[in-house]
Amino acid sequence: MKALRVEDLSKQFGGVSAVNNVSFSVEIGERLAIIGPNGAGKTTLFNLINGQFPVTGGRIYFFEQDVTALPTHRLAHLGQARAFQIISLLQNLTVLDNALLTLHGTKPSRFKMFRPVEHFKDVFDQAIHTLDTLDLGEKKDELVKNLAHGEQRRLEIGLGLAMEPRLLLLDEPSAGLTKEEGVDVIGIIKKLGSDITVLLVDHDMEMVFEVAERIIVLHYGEIIADGTPEEIQADQRVREIYMGLEGNGDHVGAR
Amino acid sequence: MLGAVPYVGAALIFVLIPFFLSTYEEGLMTRFLVFALFAMSYNVVFGYAGLLSLGHAAFFGAGGYTVALLKLHYNVELFWISAPLGVLVATITAALFGFIALRASGIYFLLVTFALGQMLYSLTWNVKWFSSPGMQGITGIPLPDLAIPGFALDTTSFYYVVLFFFGISFLLLYRLVRSPYGRALVGIREDEARMEAVGYDTWLYKYTAFVISGAFAGIAGVLFTYYNFFVSPNHLGIMTSFLPMVMAIMGGLGTLLGPVVGAGVFIFVENFSSIYFPARWPLVLGGLFVLTIMFAREGLGVYLWRLWTKVSHHHESAKG
Repeated sequence: MKALRVEDLSKQFGGVSAVNNVSFSVEIGERLAIIGPNGAGKTTLFNLINGQFPVTGGRIYFFEQDVTALPTHRLAHLGQARAFQIISLLQNLTVLDNALLTLHGTKPSRFKMFRPVEHFKDVFDQAIHTLDTLDLGEKKDELVKNLAHGEQRRLEIGLGLAMEPRLLLLDEPSAGLTKEEGVDVIGIIKKLGSDITVLLVDHDMEMVFEVAERIIVLHYGEIIADGTPEEIQADQRVREIYMGLEGNGDHVGAR
Repeated sequence: MLGAVPYVGAALIFVLIPFFLSTYEEGLMTRFLVFALFAMSYNVVFGYAGLLSLGHAAFFGAGGYTVALLKLHYNVELFWISAPLGVLVATITAALFGFIALRASGIYFLLVTFALGQMLYSLTWNVKWFSSPGMQGITGIPLPDLAIPGFALDTTSFYYVVLFFFGISFLLLYRLVRSPYGRALVGIREDEARMEAVGYDTWLYKYTAFVISGAFAGIAGVLFTYYNFFVSPNHLGIMTSFLPMVMAIMGGLGTLLGPVVGAGVFIFVENFSSIYFPARWPLVLGGLFVLTIMFAREGLGVYLWRLWTKVSHHHESAKG
């Protein structure tokens, strides 16, 4: 069984082809990074997999279930968690509120209308526990917008993991982080159990090469290379694309 | 402990106040409670779910017209029939309108709710069935018959009927906004994509919030029509849609008490300014609105609540 299987996936915006006949599959527990220059279609591909908008053509299978037409919230229930390029926490709510809302999202109790949210003891305890493990327990009553950027990223990824996903989609997790915060995030990803499949898009090659077991290179919406980090580093076309775009560098796309 | 004081105090005041008021002032209190309920209902969609609707009077008026039409065409005065039917029609209207309006979002949502509301307005304005003979609107709606032997409602006892429904609605909404569902609405207001990504069917939440809100607006509309003895197309139209919006904003969006405070300020200032400077009421309202936005942006209710918390904290720490 594959965690994810994408067949002939295409997406056009107007006449522009953002993703073009892309096919690949991801093993369960694999850490796969998708890289490529700006505008290569990485985020679009992510959005398609995560059901943010409908595909133009092709099919997506999640643990062999056809999920091509499923909306994002259904995919969350099937076990997809996502961290966005721009941190997508609820900035004006407290850390605890964010945890409670995230944890309720995949539970039947999310529709309950007449019991205070704090009275759902199991979810509440889980939220407190999650925040403690993220080292954010003492900040639970702070508004998210008052947290440091690195703390927000930690909270976002931590809450994503608290959903106990089968597939974790990380869209530029290093965006806006300092070096140390980036290392922090790498640590979190490396510690994940082998039952969690990770799909990662990032510009930060250090992050990619540190985390990924396999790399797919997108260029103009098409896959031009697919292999281990070593193979990708040695790939002539990849080097050309990156060199052409970003000048010199020891390994591809170093920032 | 002190947190409950304002609630208990307010409840006591509301129960006892008719003994100290003239019939006219009592009517004013009834009016205040009706609009407070209307504003609270609006707050569910706008304040909590973040949906700026400009057609909320449609549900208020649908409830009111149902009661009035039942009296006009079928001579039904029995509360237990006309009130539930009024709320039901308001709810169904909200279910239909919400289904259409929530195809759109943002400014388009606003325009669609506005258009749908004005459709009802023009329907009641133009179709004779919706009016008493020779009038625009339906008049002569009596206080409802509660079918309790030897007891007929007067304005004082009707005040208590309104207070009862206001109280029940307040409690229900109090539970609602603290529940996982209510918190999810706030989450959707803040970041819909985020909520979708963690498993919420955000469309369903917005839709149900819209319908629930319409149902409570219907309760307000039913009570208003009994209180007012008269219902007109204006009660479905844009001017009436503005009322709960202004009240909710003035009192404090996304808080339960805010719209109640807003409605209180609105109704009582409206009353006094229409006594002392009848032609200047819109000016007074406008001024008040601007002052609120400038000096108590989050709403007068929030402002007062903060003041209270400060005082009670001070008190508690003084006690040691």
